[in-house]
Amino acid sequence: MRLMDWLDERLAIRQLIKVMLTEYYVPKNINFLWSFGVLVMLVFAILVVSGIFLLMYYKPDSHLAFDSVNKTIMMDVEYGWLFRHTHAVGASIMFLVLFIHMARGIYYGSFKPPREIVWITGYILFVLMSATAFTGYLLPWGQMSYWAAQTITTLFEKIPFIGPDLVVWIRGNYIVEDATLTRFFALHVVFLPLLLIVFTAIHLYAVRIPGSNNEDGIELTKEEKKHGKGVPFWPVFMAKEFFVMSVFLIFFFYLVFYQYKFAMDPINFTPADYLQTPTHIYPEWYFLAFYEVLRGFFFSQNLGLIAFVLSMFIAAFLPWLDTSPIKSAKHRPIYKILFWIFIADFVFLTILGKLPPTGLYAWLGFFGSLVFFAFFLTLPILSKIEKKKVAGGR
Amino acid sequence: MKELKILLILIVIVAIGYWGIEPYAHSVMHGEIKKPDYKYSDLQTTALTTGDPVKGKELFMANCASCHGLKNDGINPGMDKNAAIASFNVVPPDLSNIASIVDHKFLAAFIKNPQEATKNPKFAMPPMAQLSDEDVGHVIAYLSSVAKKDLTGKDITVEACGRCHSIKYQKIQAETPADNLKAYLGKVPPDLSVMGKAKELEYLETFINNPQNGLPGTSMPRLGLTQEATEKVVKYLDEIADPHREQRNKLGVWVLGYLVVMAGLTYAWKRKIWKNLH
Repeated sequence: MRLMDWLDERLAIRQLIKVMLTEYYVPKNINFLWSFGVLVMLVFAILVVSGIFLLMYYKPDSHLAFDSVNKTIMMDVEYGWLFRHTHAVGASIMFLVLFIHMARGIYYGSFKPPREIVWITGYILFVLMSATAFTGYLLPWGQMSYWAAQTITTLFEKIPFIGPDLVVWIRGNYIVEDATLTRFFALHVVFLPLLLIVFTAIHLYAVRIPGSNNEDGIELTKEEKKHGKGVPFWPVFMAKEFFVMSVFLIFFFYLVFYQYKFAMDPINFTPADYLQTPTHIYPEWYFLAFYEVLRGFFFSQNLGLIAFVLSMFIAAFLPWLDTSPIKSAKHRPIYKILFWIFIADFVFLTILGKLPPTGLYAWLGFFGSLVFFAFFLTLPILSKIEKKKVAGGR
Repeated sequence: MKELKILLILIVIVAIGYWGIEPYAHSVMHGEIKKPDYKYSDLQTTALTTGDPVKGKELFMANCASCHGLKNDGINPGMDKNAAIASFNVVPPDLSNIASIVDHKFLAAFIKNPQEATKNPKFAMPPMAQLSDEDVGHVIAYLSSVAKKDLTGKDITVEACGRCHSIKYQKIQAETPADNLKAYLGKVPPDLSVMGKAKELEYLETFINNPQNGLPGTSMPRLGLTQEATEKVVKYLDEIADPHREQRNKLGVWVLGYLVVMAGLTYAWKRKIWKNLH
């Protein structure tokens, strides 16, 4: 206890523990979907640790990168394969966990006042994580890495006036080359993870103030939570979190040891060749839905690009699109239907994103994209209807 | 119960997504992989099994030995390696073990018309039209008599693929220099170090059996390997691409076992803390 006293005098550590853990109350009426926040943290930690080990052997040089990954790390370094598989599966599973975390927020209205900052910082984290994944994907310097980077950086060409110059600036060359690899490496291992940590801190701080939302979407005061309707974060809620994490880790390491292939595109085991394009170019599964929106407007490249950018960011504006006074979908029958159509559409777009964009698939992609945006654009109308309902008028 | 229902919904959605992105997309993009044809039924030739090795050796010396060596019988090629590369852009193979790895019907058709058998119109060896069916039978009988029988996957891979393909991670260098391969085939054939991961094994088997099936227009010649030889090559390519499989499978059991125990302990702790709450 002496150490605690010593720390307490200097850092007020007991007060900190109270605010962050023992006297931070979480509502009782939440389900395990609320544990996905801690799962995101867990996967992030796994990615950082496995990433540091990979960093010790990886060479950010276009002549050495492929072999440093596929020979040095995968074959020569003791348990190098374990770190690589863990990192690759972690990157993929991060998005699964993030999507569930976000979908829970959308279903139960966790983006609504007073939690807008929680939602916005969370959304920034999603975008940062996407950028981290994209920059990291280039590093093994395989065919799909290379052509995905080539395709995505080409998109910037469409930006009026500065586009073509911007592309060269981003790549550091006219094509994706050594310069691109080196800068993506710097972004992937230092800059983006630093931003992720900063925004995670803000995100966690922001949720400590209004507290967690709950299934019913009815706010509880601190007193209510303290006396019966809530549980302290530590040790009560964390006891449940540890169980969820353990179960999740079984699933995670099952994938790492026995199903890691889903996170590794076979085409990426062919070294990057800028003279030969793969037959099909597609991103990792977590970007497929957005990629399909890009391709969905197949009749106009510019429209597709605008739709793509919009699809990546539109959900950030949910607090202002959905202003209904009712928070949780539990009490919003129409919203519930819209939500499930949206989820089904997202899965549908994801599947379409990997299929060749021709014939029927192209049209399905177009309609799927429209449904994607329709969800967000109906929300202001639905909000108006629900506002009237709550006020008692028609 | 409610939480189990939520879990079930998650599992269903993830499973549908997974099915769509993996097996379904795969079946649409790649279609069905054709079954390998080890009978080489498109070739008209029949393999004669009654040849005489002694006559075969004479015919070999007269017709083949100007380009091909046969180390097993102490025969050096009439043309040295560099001269062959300068003339054909490719090194003619030593034929010591060819009869163990190549199907005899294919071999017969190949000797008579290499371009047709390999499905490669640019194939460097000229047709041996001067040899009768009987002569071909003798040559094959001779080749069979000198060929080693129990070749490993690595031996077969080096014999069948090593003239054009390197296997960098195994320190195996293609016999023909890259520039000559490019002149002969149009491009440098890919390194085989991690080919076992870059392609599905089923695809590799079909591809080796008939490259035109997997990649129409490719300059890789059909090799005519027997089923056994093809399977050994594929197994070898798979093993070198994933040398730690056994270690992974063993360690996986321990890690998962540990995590199951962890889950049990954390569940007990959760029960202990939560039981007084409801």
